[in-house]
Amino acid sequence: MKTEGCRKWRELLGAYALGHLQGAERLGLEAHLEGCDECRAELATLTPVAELLPHADPARFESAPQPPPELGQRIAAVIEAEKRRDRQRRQRRRFGFALGGAAAAIAAAVLLLFVLQGDGEDPTRHVKFTSLPDDVSIYATLEPHAYGTEIHMYVKGVASGTLCRVYLRGPGGTDYSAGTFRYRWGDDSNAILSSALDLSRTRAIVVHAGKRTFVAPVDAPVAGASDGNEEEAT
Amino acid sequence: MIQLGTSARGALSRERDVREAYAAHAGELYGFAVRSLGDSGLAEEAVQETFVRAWRAGDRFDPKIGSLRTWLFAILRNVVIDLGRARSIRPALADGGPEPSVEPLEEALLAWQVEEAMRRIGTEHRRVLVETYYRGRPYAEVAEELGVPEGTVKSRVYYGLRALRVALEEMGYED
Repeated sequence: MKTEGCRKWRELLGAYALGHLQGAERLGLEAHLEGCDECRAELATLTPVAELLPHADPARFESAPQPPPELGQRIAAVIEAEKRRDRQRRQRRRFGFALGGAAAAIAAAVLLLFVLQGDGEDPTRHVKFTSLPDDVSIYATLEPHAYGTEIHMYVKGVASGTLCRVYLRGPGGTDYSAGTFRYRWGDDSNAILSSALDLSRTRAIVVHAGKRTFVAPVDAPVAGASDGNEEEAT
Repeated sequence: MIQLGTSARGALSRERDVREAYAAHAGELYGFAVRSLGDSGLAEEAVQETFVRAWRAGDRFDPKIGSLRTWLFAILRNVVIDLGRARSIRPALADGGPEPSVEPLEEALLAWQVEEAMRRIGTEHRRVLVETYYRGRPYAEVAEELGVPEGTVKSRVYYGLRALRVALEEMGYED
């Protein structure tokens, strides 16, 4: 039964649901609840909410973590690259060059790499990291886009599961994130990443593989791109 | 519940739709990914993989079954499970550094929902819930600090819980 006194009691329901109400107020509210269907129904909607509170960490209430501004562009770049690969695949099939199996696909990618390298007009940069342990090899292909630079990373020989963080270094030495990937044995070793930094302003590519850091310059022409790169102390 | 203004089937089959979906939902997805994976780099990876998978499967999205937001969260949940599984079966790496701790996924989702709902309610309501519930302070003390009667603190606790319930419902939480 709804009465004029209902509001007074109802506004105590929150404290009651949290177990904070004591003494005469608690007894009075419980007496009111005995005879008020509406307040009982209201309490029934608050109790499950009160029971959820212990799950939350109040230190996280003030601000939510925000994704980095370039993440949307990176996702668009990955989708664009996937569309381009689909188109190339369809074209290869159309011209009778469809190749079966992962090994053939990798061979085709290497072939494509050499074709691109032979084209003097091609703006793509190819970088080979040289200061590496004997069994490790890292290559990168960088392509210019309106949004920045697309990076294809080819990694072999690092521990399976190693987290690799990739950055492009600008003229002032500022590193622009290009994202992360994990190298896995048996998986495709080609990771496609992107960075907001234009290729024309990119001076070096930096790869943090686990705790090791490798840097290779990318401003040199293709023929000299493999010279002068180094492992940085971390 | 947050709905994207898309009514046709195949809502993510075009890149423009992915951009719209990203603008509408990436913040929430990223927040949950950080909460459940405990690592911002992995969370970026998870959100990226979520949108790429959603784009690949865009034709299969049917708004009659559920909202785009619910669908994206379902994909993210699978991505987080995959990432967690990959992390748990991977042998200790010589150079991978310590792994961040991970809460069980359902607990992380529940925690994130309550925290997100708390961020959506008014400052005054959140304040009294933090002071009285999380800090366990007496109502009279909180009332004095805020310069309001004790009854006002109690009523703010009531309206705060109501606002929290509405926020949780908007986020798709069901008892």
